[in-house]
Amino acid sequence: MTANLRVDWPACQRRGLCAEVLPEVLSLDEWGFPVVGAAVPPELIGLAQEAAAVCPHSALRLIREA
Amino acid sequence: MTTVATSVDRTRLPPAPGGPGVPAPDETRVVDGPALLAHLHDGPSLAAHRLRVGPCPSPGVESILAATTAVDVRGRGGAGFPFSVKLATSARRRRRVVVVNLAEGEPASAKDSALAICVPHRVLDGAASVAHALGAREVHIIVAEDRPVVIGAVSHALAERRAAGERLRWTMHRARPAFVAGQARAVLELMAGRENLPVTAWMPEAVSGHRGRATLLCNGETWAQVGTLLAAGPQAYRRHGTADEPGTTLLSMGRDREDTEDTEDTEGSNGTEDAQTLEVVEVPYGTSWSALLTPGQLARPVLLGGYHGTWAAPGELTDAVVSRHGLAALDLALGAGVVLPLPTGTCPLTRTSGIVSYLAGQSARRCGPCLNGLPALADALTRVASLEDPGPLDGSRSARERVEELLGLVEGRGACAHPDGTVRLVRSLFRAVPDEATRHASGACAFDAGLHRRGSAR
Repeated sequence: MTANLRVDWPACQRRGLCAEVLPEVLSLDEWGFPVVGAAVPPELIGLAQEAAAVCPHSALRLIREA
Repeated sequence: MTTVATSVDRTRLPPAPGGPGVPAPDETRVVDGPALLAHLHDGPSLAAHRLRVGPCPSPGVESILAATTAVDVRGRGGAGFPFSVKLATSARRRRRVVVVNLAEGEPASAKDSALAICVPHRVLDGAASVAHALGAREVHIIVAEDRPVVIGAVSHALAERRAAGERLRWTMHRARPAFVAGQARAVLELMAGRENLPVTAWMPEAVSGHRGRATLLCNGETWAQVGTLLAAGPQAYRRHGTADEPGTTLLSMGRDREDTEDTEDTEGSNGTEDAQTLEVVEVPYGTSWSALLTPGQLARPVLLGGYHGTWAAPGELTDAVVSRHGLAALDLALGAGVVLPLPTGTCPLTRTSGIVSYLAGQSARRCGPCLNGLPALADALTRVASLEDPGPLDGSRSARERVEELLGLVEGRGACAHPDGTVRLVRSLFRAVPDEATRHASGACAFDAGLHRRGSAR
């Protein structure tokens, strides 16, 4: 199973909290919007869930694919 | 040949720096074709349609699936997704919705308008047949607010069907005059009474679309292809095209003055020198591009697929044919079928930067990377196209390097295909004319005779 973070772009207001929680996968571009790197490795799933939960606009989702 | 007014508001058209601009399709010529556009002189009436084509077909889902799979009907709105897969997906769910999307957001596309005006019942029969098979009682039709002739034609056609006793409920929605307004999710937003702008799709429309219901949404040509196939049967459908790709496809072809000089009556309709006319043609798959474009046009870059499309390199289409697979092998795509040859004396870099500026202005302004990235991309590309030395952007990066950086920052980062389509256009430009950016940096242009020396009057 793989897990990927997906941004709801119209909802994202570049608060940047997600990248603080999960810098291993997320960085911020020159305008402050998240850049999603590779898939989320299993050991970081918990932090990825937290990164999604911490977004004040619920603009980040963790999508698990079988 | 029929000339129809498609009445697109010209203010939507992109600026045309450095030469003739984009086609201004306030008038579109529609040429008789082998199947969908056959017998145009019969007129658009339901009576004429029934006489030629017969009653609205009423097969079951299984037989529609079999027919559309047999001839591999693909969506003609740009993505080319198999129709039968969409149909099968929605058929597995309850309470389905059928949508006919005639909102051609791209100003240079007129094929769905042409169908709606000239042969509306081919489109409506396709949607009605599938709606019957799916048990959908309501069909939604999306029309562009700035194409009043299409709205009139569709309204008239629906009135004819009601008068003939059709029990389906057709609901018409008017899309905003914007490039992204016809995007599938933007259309669903419009149908739901919200702002007509794209939102993030977490699931395909055929799984969860209009109010969470399975929604079979296709553009006008796709429905017309399905209607024609169901009426005539796969065998007749296969009379055109190749064994690999049966059937025909519609193209919206930009025709500039050079090509139309010898035909009468082009004078007058084009008041400005940047005007082109559009011609909607129906061609069988496998048709040679040499039969569709002049040797001069083939020797210059050709924009296939419109503003979200790809530039074919000079000469690249000379021996190629109209084919999804064939073009994909060349890294090209037909998209929604817009074909824009580059007029003589026009610089492809300048033309592309003009289109990107237009696309930047057409952003729905909701997604950060698109809102910020497309204007920056347009600016960097304008610098690349310039023959003046603009100097390094900041630090030591060249404008060309900045373009690459922005392409990476924009791609795949939006709710709809607007950023990705723009990236595809720009990438294809540098593939089609690989030496041109360097040549421009040294103050010369291979295409525009008026732009040869650094510091010339532009």
